[in-house]
Amino acid sequence: MMLKHDLRLALAGFRRTPILTALIVTAIAAGIGAAMISITLYHARAGHPIWWKEHQLFAVTLDNRGSDRRGEELNRHPEYPPDQVTYRDAQALYRSSIPERAVMMYRTARVVDPGKAGVKPFGVVARLTTADFFPMFEVPMRYGAGWGRTDDTTPDPVVVLSSRLNDKLFNGANSVGRTVTLNSKQFRVVGVADRWMPQPRFYDLTTGAFDISEDLYMPFGWSTASKLQTIGNINCVTPNAKVGGFEDLLNTDCVFMQYWVQIPNAATLRRYQQFVDNYTQDQKQYGRFVRPTNNRLYDVPAWLDRNDVIGDDSRIEIVLAVVFLAVCIVNTVGLMLAKFLGAAPVTGLRRALGASRKHIMQQHLTEVILVALIGGAVGVVLARLGLWAIKVMTYIPGPDDNAERRALADSLSHMDYRMIVLAVSISILTGVLAGLYPAWRVGRAAPASFLKAQ
Amino acid sequence: MIEMQSVSKVFRTDVVETHALKAFSLRIEAHEFVAITGPSGSGKTTFLNVAGLLEEFTSGKYLLDGKDVSGLKDDARSRIRNEKIGFIFQSFNLIPDLNIYDNVEVPLHYRGFTSAERRKRVTAALERVGLAQRMKHIPAQLSGGQQQRAAIARALAGDPRVILADEPTGNLDTTMSGQIMDLLEEINSGGTTILMVTHNPELAMRAHRHIEIVDGALAASRPGNRGVPEASAAAVASGAGALARAGATATIKAGAAGQPS
Repeated sequence: MMLKHDLRLALAGFRRTPILTALIVTAIAAGIGAAMISITLYHARAGHPIWWKEHQLFAVTLDNRGSDRRGEELNRHPEYPPDQVTYRDAQALYRSSIPERAVMMYRTARVVDPGKAGVKPFGVVARLTTADFFPMFEVPMRYGAGWGRTDDTTPDPVVVLSSRLNDKLFNGANSVGRTVTLNSKQFRVVGVADRWMPQPRFYDLTTGAFDISEDLYMPFGWSTASKLQTIGNINCVTPNAKVGGFEDLLNTDCVFMQYWVQIPNAATLRRYQQFVDNYTQDQKQYGRFVRPTNNRLYDVPAWLDRNDVIGDDSRIEIVLAVVFLAVCIVNTVGLMLAKFLGAAPVTGLRRALGASRKHIMQQHLTEVILVALIGGAVGVVLARLGLWAIKVMTYIPGPDDNAERRALADSLSHMDYRMIVLAVSISILTGVLAGLYPAWRVGRAAPASFLKAQ
Repeated sequence: MIEMQSVSKVFRTDVVETHALKAFSLRIEAHEFVAITGPSGSGKTTFLNVAGLLEEFTSGKYLLDGKDVSGLKDDARSRIRNEKIGFIFQSFNLIPDLNIYDNVEVPLHYRGFTSAERRKRVTAALERVGLAQRMKHIPAQLSGGQQQRAAIARALAGDPRVILADEPTGNLDTTMSGQIMDLLEEINSGGTTILMVTHNPELAMRAHRHIEIVDGALAASRPGNRGVPEASAAAVASGAGALARAGATATIKAGAAGQPS
């Protein structure tokens, strides 16, 4: 009931001081808009390829190294476990239902027969991966979708093409339902990924951090079904482990697979770490994991740091954005003070008519929150417009198509909504502080002192 | 209704002390219509502000409707202002961006009335002052007299025990002043106590009692043409007593008009 009354008074206040109100909204909107643009650009440029969920994705590493430490002194970080996992460990981890999503994968090579007269078969890089790969890494799909989880163990002959390969084979048309011949076996296309070029390619850094994504993706089940060898790095970490045939690879302590999980919160992360530690502890009975337990889960920034992919980022942009936001907030405080002190006679009148200090405080809060929300909303719209303009300027499709420019431009479509919430909260907080002071001042003074000015 | 005993009000700054009210004693009975006059700066408005709990006083005792309101906390003062006192100001003091209905409704919000109750009271008050047809107008669309009637409706809507009017006709021409006085008399006839500050001796004489404040002290208390109501005869006498204690002269004239209803 009082809220309606307070809102009506707030709107009346806006009408009474339209220019001042517009200036306040503009100051908040400019601060939030500019800060959002800077922060988004920072994220896009500073090598955070999937920053909107970078603290939910974790690379799993297990320390299955043998007791022989010779040569480790040459490593920059001998304390780190290997950066990949073995086949059998990946299989064991994959049975856990603790993570929201899990992906085990490696790179392999295939030969595509285009089936066109005069076009020779050509080699492509394929990624054998599990179904969660597409939703977990938010691979944009141009056509169709990924495959189901059943294909991870008993695979259908299905495949997801990159847009690059789709352009080459089908001239960019929707190829879902059509077939592709890989090493003489026919696979049905179930999806075509849109251009996707996370830079750095965080999910597999072993073959180059800044590289293009694979040409196609196959269900992981084809790994054993077709005995597909890896074309990535293999690192045998115990004295007895040797790379022989495919079967040897599956059963030795040679790491060659990447393993990622998506975990929603810290509690689940702790549970999962415990699960991993329990698993390696259990494996000790088979003579494995001879070193003290040293299993590490890395979120994306930590993973990039662990692999020395990104040096010290320039944080100047962020600092500037925050400084600009602070300047706008200080302006907002000044404008709000002017607005509320200007309205003091009306406030004094309301006090005379029976409004308590609490009533006045409530009404001021309603007004500042309303104006901060409007300013915040306009700021978000400005940020969207600014990012759209930057995206248009950054990427122009055409003959000079540039993957990196495109990737950068695409990353701009992800605004950091947590930062928006934070920025709007800050603007509300400053508005509240700016509104409380005049409310307190008017509340402290005798109502009579403002009536003469009315 | 209102009883002040040796109330003083001192305004202090770093360099000067101003005694706006000096040991001010006065008793006003329920249903009385009291006009207050005095030269500019004599303390009339300060007296009204203190009486309306808009300002705290420095010393003394103040009983409002039988309750000692000296030293009450702000919340309690606000509640009393809201429930027992109606204010009418010289410059109307309507909120310019709200329409007349919303203006009259403002004090009722702080009383916790339901929407239906507020509507009933606002409508009744506006009908009583003859502005029912103008409730959707904003103050700037009304004449001065109409704005003051709206302010009176706002004061009436809460059904107060006392109305404090600070030069309610100060910004109005003679005709409108007369109309506002008629309205105040009618309200007083309904039982509401009225204290009215005015510079106009003719209007002052339309009250039951006319008191004069000079230099923050009660200088005179005499019946107006409206006559002295039985209930307040004692108060007049008490006012005379206060004058005698203050060393001033009280002039009490017989009222020309009849007793109030």
